[in-house]
Amino acid sequence: MTKKILIIEDDELLLGLLEKKLKDENYDVFIARDGVEGLASLRKTKPDLILLDIIMPRMGGFEVMEEMRKDEELKEIPVIIISNSGQPVELKKAKELGVKDWLIKIKIDPKEVIKKVIKQIGK
Amino acid sequence: MAKDNKKPTVHPLFRHSTQQKNFFDKKKDEDWTSLLNILEDAQRTRRKAERERDRTYNIINNLTDGLIVLDNKDKIVFVNSKIEELLNIKKIVIEGKNIKDISEIPTLKEIVESIVSKAGEKLFKKEISLEKPNEKVLEATIVNLVETDERVIILHDITREKIVEKMKTEFVSISAHQLRTPLSAIKWTLRMLIDGEIGEITPEQKIFLEKTYKSNERMIALIKDLLNVTRIEEGRYLYNPIITDLDEIILKVISSFPEQIKKKKIKLEFKKAEERLPKVRADIEKITIALQNLLGNAIRYSFPGGEVTIFLESSENEVICSIKDEGVGIPKDQYNRIFTKFFRGANVMRMETEGTGLGLFITKNIIDAHKGRIWFESEENKGTTFYFALPI
Repeated sequence: MTKKILIIEDDELLLGLLEKKLKDENYDVFIARDGVEGLASLRKTKPDLILLDIIMPRMGGFEVMEEMRKDEELKEIPVIIISNSGQPVELKKAKELGVKDWLIKIKIDPKEVIKKVIKQIGK
Repeated sequence: MAKDNKKPTVHPLFRHSTQQKNFFDKKKDEDWTSLLNILEDAQRTRRKAERERDRTYNIINNLTDGLIVLDNKDKIVFVNSKIEELLNIKKIVIEGKNIKDISEIPTLKEIVESIVSKAGEKLFKKEISLEKPNEKVLEATIVNLVETDERVIILHDITREKIVEKMKTEFVSISAHQLRTPLSAIKWTLRMLIDGEIGEITPEQKIFLEKTYKSNERMIALIKDLLNVTRIEEGRYLYNPIITDLDEIILKVISSFPEQIKKKKIKLEFKKAEERLPKVRADIEKITIALQNLLGNAIRYSFPGGEVTIFLESSENEVICSIKDEGVGIPKDQYNRIFTKFFRGANVMRMETEGTGLGLFITKNIIDAHKGRIWFESEENKGTTFYFALPI
């Protein structure tokens, strides 16, 4: 069965690139442009993995994860953070919230996102 | 007898000549006139001196800087008007008192401490932050007048400069952060285009795209440096030192430069002391940045085919690392500016090399934060060796 991935990211270009890259790898890709949209999509699609940005309008990544924790059906879904910040306090908080990986956009290529995705849920 | 007494008394020396008597009287009148003249002159001079004194007083009193003068017993002998405004106290409250007796006034407390601790120094400056309600940043210059053993304290209001400086730092920090997202998007797009993932491209297109990718990477590096500098200036550049081996960090840094080393045919060697070196307390991430900057410079400013050698040894209380190149060197007249922000050597500016002038500034800050030392030796067109030492 095709694995479902939800990308929650507010930058249109990065979102489009990730969507294409993951579709090319034969994943079933869903997209959301902020936390509120993301949470709604999450409840509906029940993805196998979430790629989540931190700083977004309306609702940020940390709030999304806190909401997920309250929901029995959602709290086990693995999350990979894709953000451009990475302060030690943020990393610590993410770890406490059970985040699987933290990628810094400016340091990586999209290829590395795929590697991390495969590591979590396979092809 | 009484009549005789009325006769003018003449000094026995002049008694033999009436002419001499007249001369004496005349002389006396002249003396009086000149005395009066002298008195008048003195009065005029005094009035002039008073005017000068009043003028000097007015100038000092209306200076835009605050001024306090202490005598050799630290008694406040003069305070100008600006002090009242700066310190929010009345002149009469402090004038005539010993500065040590009124050190409960918060601003004066720091000044008094400085005076005590730096009594022997001729001139020193200190920054003083006043808290609410009198929120200000003052720069105190304390001048010791050696001849009279008096002290002059000059308080300069630098609140505005501090606000501007903070705004500048914040501006750089915010804009640098804002730049990261579009730069990432450009990086990802170019990478996918180069890899042919968005459709096939011609070899010529590939060459241009690869060059664009490299330019973008340079911009990313500049933004990273700028952010590090603003963090240093805002005091947010955190250090998380752990006990570690320096040689492991060095090996890792060396392995991150294969392209540049190959391209310039640099002969790179790592010479480590034979005995096992002591561990140091180091923030691995920050020391990596410092080493990347030093090794990066050594390679960048080497002539093609040159040798770069990294030495690692220890002394009684330090581990010392040095990075030696045979490159362009640093002009002697620029030695003292080498660690300043945005400085680049005049000789390297002429070379077609990239560089932001931030690397050594960041590196020095990192080494200082480790309570280490950093220094260099250099000769133009012969080469440079940078040393840094971390305490064991």
